[in-house]
Amino acid sequence: MSLINRIFWRAMQPAAAVRFSAALAAAWLLAAWTTPVAAQSVCLPSPRLLTIKPMGGQAGTQVEVTITGEELDEADELTFSDPRITAVPKVNSAGQVERNKYVVTIAADCPEGVYEARAMSRLGMSSSRAFCVGTLPEVTQTPGNHSLDKAMELAVDSVCNSVLSVRAVDHYTFQGRQGQRVIVQCATRGIDSRAIGVLVVADSQGRDLMVERRGGAIDFTVPEDGRYVIKVHELTYQGGPEFFYRLSLRELPPGAPIPPLPSTRPVNAFSWPPVGLSTHAATTEVEDSEAPQRITLPADIAGRFYPAADVDVYEFEAKKGEVWWVEVGSERLGLPTDPSIIVQLVTKNGDKEQLTDVAEFSDIPSPVKVSSNGYAYDGPPYNAGTSDAMGKLEIKQDGLYRLRITDLFGGTRSDPRNEYRLVIRKAAPDFAVVAWPLHMGLRNGDRNALSKPIALRGGATMALEVVAIRRDGFDGPIELELENLPPGVRAQGLKIPAGKSRGIMLITADVDAPRGITNANFYGRAVINGETVTRQGYLATMAWPVRDAWQQIPHPRLMADVPVSVGGSEAAPITVAPAKADVIEAVAGSKVTVPLVQTRRSDFSGTAITMKVFGDGFEQAPSVKVPLNADTSEVVFDLAALKTPPGEYTIALYGGAVAKYRHRMDKLQQAEEAHRKAQEEVNALSEQLKQLEAQAKTATAEKQAEAEDTREKLAAQRQAAEAQLKAAAEQLKQATATAAPKDIAEIVVSEPIKIRIKPAETK
Amino acid sequence: MNPPTENALGAILLPTITTSRLRCFFMPCRYLLSALSLAAGLLLGVPCGSAQADEGRISFMNDVVPVLTKAGCNIGPCHAKAGNGQNGFYLSLLGFEPDEDYENLVKAARGRRISFASPKNSLILLKGTARLPHGGGQRLAPDSPEYQVLLNWIRQGAPYDGQSAPKLVNFEVQPSGGTLQRGAQVQLKALAHYSDGTVRDVTRLALYESNEEAMATVTSDGLVTAGDIAGNAAIMVRYQGKVAVYGAAVPLGAPVTNLPEPKNFIDELVFANLKQLGIPPSEVCDDATFLRRVTLDIAGRLPTEAETAEFMANTAPDKREQLVDTLLRSPDYADFFANKWSALLKNRRDSASDMVANFAFHAWVRDSFLSNKPYDQFVRELLAATGTVVDNPPVAWYKRVKDSKQQIEDVAQLFLGVRMQCAQCHHHPFERWSQDDYYALTAFFNQVGRKPSGVRGEDLIFHQRGIATAVNVKTHQTLRPAALGDAMPDIAPDEDPRLRLADWMSSPNNPYFAKALVNRYWKHFFQRGLIEPEDDIRDTNPPSNPELLAALEKHFISSGFDLKELVRTITTSRTYQLSSVPNEHNVADVQNFSRYYPRRLQAEVMLDAIDYLTGSQTVFNNLPVGTRAVALPDNSYNRSVPFLAVFGRPEGASVCECERISSSSLAQSLHLINASDIKSKLASPTGRAAKLAKADMPLEEKVRQLYVVAFSREPREDEMRAALEFLNEPQTDSSGQPLDPQKVAHENFQDLVWALMNTKEFQFNH
Repeated sequence: MSLINRIFWRAMQPAAAVRFSAALAAAWLLAAWTTPVAAQSVCLPSPRLLTIKPMGGQAGTQVEVTITGEELDEADELTFSDPRITAVPKVNSAGQVERNKYVVTIAADCPEGVYEARAMSRLGMSSSRAFCVGTLPEVTQTPGNHSLDKAMELAVDSVCNSVLSVRAVDHYTFQGRQGQRVIVQCATRGIDSRAIGVLVVADSQGRDLMVERRGGAIDFTVPEDGRYVIKVHELTYQGGPEFFYRLSLRELPPGAPIPPLPSTRPVNAFSWPPVGLSTHAATTEVEDSEAPQRITLPADIAGRFYPAADVDVYEFEAKKGEVWWVEVGSERLGLPTDPSIIVQLVTKNGDKEQLTDVAEFSDIPSPVKVSSNGYAYDGPPYNAGTSDAMGKLEIKQDGLYRLRITDLFGGTRSDPRNEYRLVIRKAAPDFAVVAWPLHMGLRNGDRNALSKPIALRGGATMALEVVAIRRDGFDGPIELELENLPPGVRAQGLKIPAGKSRGIMLITADVDAPRGITNANFYGRAVINGETVTRQGYLATMAWPVRDAWQQIPHPRLMADVPVSVGGSEAAPITVAPAKADVIEAVAGSKVTVPLVQTRRSDFSGTAITMKVFGDGFEQAPSVKVPLNADTSEVVFDLAALKTPPGEYTIALYGGAVAKYRHRMDKLQQAEEAHRKAQEEVNALSEQLKQLEAQAKTATAEKQAEAEDTREKLAAQRQAAEAQLKAAAEQLKQATATAAPKDIAEIVVSEPIKIRIKPAETK
Repeated sequence: MNPPTENALGAILLPTITTSRLRCFFMPCRYLLSALSLAAGLLLGVPCGSAQADEGRISFMNDVVPVLTKAGCNIGPCHAKAGNGQNGFYLSLLGFEPDEDYENLVKAARGRRISFASPKNSLILLKGTARLPHGGGQRLAPDSPEYQVLLNWIRQGAPYDGQSAPKLVNFEVQPSGGTLQRGAQVQLKALAHYSDGTVRDVTRLALYESNEEAMATVTSDGLVTAGDIAGNAAIMVRYQGKVAVYGAAVPLGAPVTNLPEPKNFIDELVFANLKQLGIPPSEVCDDATFLRRVTLDIAGRLPTEAETAEFMANTAPDKREQLVDTLLRSPDYADFFANKWSALLKNRRDSASDMVANFAFHAWVRDSFLSNKPYDQFVRELLAATGTVVDNPPVAWYKRVKDSKQQIEDVAQLFLGVRMQCAQCHHHPFERWSQDDYYALTAFFNQVGRKPSGVRGEDLIFHQRGIATAVNVKTHQTLRPAALGDAMPDIAPDEDPRLRLADWMSSPNNPYFAKALVNRYWKHFFQRGLIEPEDDIRDTNPPSNPELLAALEKHFISSGFDLKELVRTITTSRTYQLSSVPNEHNVADVQNFSRYYPRRLQAEVMLDAIDYLTGSQTVFNNLPVGTRAVALPDNSYNRSVPFLAVFGRPEGASVCECERISSSSLAQSLHLINASDIKSKLASPTGRAAKLAKADMPLEEKVRQLYVVAFSREPREDEMRAALEFLNEPQTDSSGQPLDPQKVAHENFQDLVWALMNTKEFQFNH
């Protein structure tokens, strides 16, 4: 163990909580190291909650859940994004806490929906897993229901929490009565499952009657009294703990609309609805209308892309010089649509009507380039854009106009669920922001960063990439803020500059920041039309870590909240910070030198980190080298080359370094200590035996008999101590193997650096 | 008028050659077949009529080009070879581009092919008559009228009359059809009608081809001879881009009495045809045969023991109709037909990451059949698919078929039965389709937009707003979308042209869409289409029973493109239920459906049948145990299960059903005899042989069970006797000691199962 490591781990020891026997922990460690953690050659281990089973419960009940995940050893707290859902660790009949089991209480007034569940681990708050609250009674799957003869009986009006097995088809049965309308639904992607669910209703012999593969419901009217079979499987028959689903079976009266299953929201939902949009639209589309529907502007219309190849046409009068903003929301409602809008001027040429294109609105593109292949980094793997449409409509002449709205994905699909909301308004400049943990090109790609929670190590600075969708011509700068942070944690937003779409949020934990968790408030702030406007921001995540982007389809989604936590058990391998907290001053056109301090707590591969710069005014600066073999360094920026105008700036450096990460050093230290004590015990007993044997040589016969008795006892004690030593040695061996340095590429972000550029003196 | 004498003709006649089907003359085309047969040289005919070769001026367009075509100079393997022809001399395929041909013949290569100073020593004549070494051999006899045409044309200064020459406006063959007794002959007369009102007898310059050599042959000068086999044959006659057909009915003339009572229009029309041809049909098959046949054809599997028992015990007069309905309701029907279609729709796995798309696409096809989605809707959803594969699986077709040319070629061949491939580069030699037709069809797909999706290698598909157009690569003319042989009103920029194409296809008046499907399905059930091949519908390839095809088409359209109803109509007909055992008259009939034509079980069905017979299920990668081979989603299993490849399961590389190999081969025989997978199935400790060996039941009952499973019928007495003798035969080791009876029983049952498996009765649907 290097000196640096010894100092580092000793320093952190008091914060490491030890809750399990050494043997149990060692056994777990061995298992953990050989399974999920082994995959993490990129990014330091993060706590990830991967499964929670059952995946939900009925409001007003208590549910016993079991969690699994990565780095969740010693997790002792399960939290939810709504205070009406609470959990306590499960205690068995002997009064002992059962590891990874919790009793969840769902308040009766907790609304139906999908909530975030997370576990607090030694490394901080885990990534999130969806937890559902429903109104129907819930059951869990009978294991092995993979054939007709082992089908699980399911009551109508119930929900079953289940997990798919590889190459298996789950079977359920229910009793139907003739004419009964039974709605069969299966939640998968919308509750973070990796499964693409296939749902089948079959007759009593298991012969398929109806199939649903696109996440919709099977609306089954029972043809005759009898037993019916429901089959569930994954599209490609994958299975395993992450392929969970909730099967719901409910009776509805004929004609009643089928309520969709609660679901998480797509990332692009952050920009919908526009602030102030009423819950219900003022106007509703008149379906089956031959003639265009007459409207007046402004307008707020609820319509749907139904039936197939539906074209809805609205007609309105507008005057020259008017400027309108058109926006449609549909994909952002979680629907598989691609709205497209054409506005045309209607003129008459004799009796003949003539249409002239005036404007065309389609996708709202991602404001930043999105990853093109999900493996090598060429942009974030999150798409803030949408196939919904938004744009400016400038009226060049008085007249009658027609707006045609279609779904570019709807040519052959007749699905009444595909709704849209069309808004035509006077300019209401605004913005919406969304953030996700920063990704960048690392040694082996950055696949494991995909579901990284904001769980900070002491001395670490984590960067969130923040992206804005701007509305109705708003072009000003957007300040970014994160408030309500745990003790010892600071946040610094690097603003989204005027006319740009990307900013950065830096979150820094002091090296001695204690274990803590808060639900932070993230927002963007801007001055619009002379008034300061604050908009809540959202955080996006991946539903599960994508380890193989070639084979897996990533599943990004929005989170309901922004939890920020500190684990308190480990420190960052390195902290790069300005030498002084003061603002560094420089004159425009000169060179500015930034003194840095590198606090290293790990060994690294290589001798320097190549770092780029975040922060308006400095992002064009060439990369700089920050040494990994020195405690201090300097970075120089040429303000003349950068052409950075006078003003206040906050920047940060970022890059990738390969740390020789040592996993569970606290366990190694415990094992070393235990081994040392066991060795001392053996040594002490051996010494006593030695002395006794020496004394026995000169003792009387009577004493010798007594001494023999004592010697036998001591020998037995030493034998026991040696067995303990052997066990301790084994544990030490395992802990040493676990803590063997492992190259892990990690994103390194400096603490914020403040620079003030003063105008150059003019002579 | 100076026709050649019979002797002169006889001297120049090359032996008549057997022409096989000519599909494309142009090298890059996929179906380049027996153009060589033409290259063997048919040098015949002389123009006659108003424009005399030796009297008036010789027309390049109407005299010279037809001579070159008849001589075979301008076919694909010769001077119309793609690229540069032969040795630098290029002629357009079949003379479709006379302007170019004139340039190449008279002006190119410094005019060396024509000698005005010494016309007889023109290179074209020296080579064509093989007086100078010529790779193509002698194409012109020096004393032939054709030679004289070329020589006179050169003597006249090799004039070009591209614009002024009368245009060929119509072409006919006389007679256009008739009954031809076996062995009888008829001389066809080919007449070309020109724009100036003249008519020329071009019998000797036209090209002839029979679609059924066994029924009728034709010589290169148009003499048709009926063969020994009765049936309907067609002779295709081509001349300068025009085609005409002579249809010959060759009757057998046997008495046709005691016809089964017709069940529907199929029977009426098939029996009427048989009456006309004098071919008496076989009897209606027995129940056991029908059960096995229809279960294999609809559900792609053998009937189960229970199904056999239930059907045989059923005494209802409509029990066959009941059975058809039961099979059509079953998911096995959906699995079997999805298997057929997903290969035709190229659901092919090229990389491991294709798996989700392939499973989704196959499942969409399968679910469409399960819910009996109308066929026009099915095709519409496929053609105009938008979105992502997981949300809308037919988008997967656009992942596999990306180029608009490939898209229209596939769509035309698969859904319209029209092969457009040739027309990409030149006027279709047998058809009316031009390059304009080809590219106007591609225009329907030219507004297909693609956006990157979250899935590697997959695009989001959408309609990109705009006026759809395509450019004819030859003329550089911009074309609007146009359906085959039909006008298409302007398509607004907002409108997805593919939807308009789908509208056109599913219109009741569409001459191809329903016809192609009913013909394809007819072939599925009868082994032979009413038009053969099933995806080559054209005027020059007439159906063997046009009235039946028209009636099926009408029925299918009026049913709302109901596929199950079509299958029901076909399989409940008496025609479908005729025995495969021929009578003394119909043994040679292969196209009039006077009996059921037996055929080998296809790869997947046979594997499932063997699994069922041996009681040992094949396990497929990534699929639940118990998945049948007919339910496999894509071609990847052909690699992991060699049986499927050996028995010809297609790879999803083409839209042609011919990709599936239905013939038998030595490899198949060897596989069934001693392949390790077959051996292990027979020897499986949980297999049927093992269970029967252990089962406590009479030996007769065990034999009976095997026959019912394998053939859906009871064993005959002689079969039972032979089986029992075999099973009861004492087995001893080399020292004469009796072997363990249990072991012997197991081995005996394996042998018996193996023997049944290798019978034709098992391997064929009959």
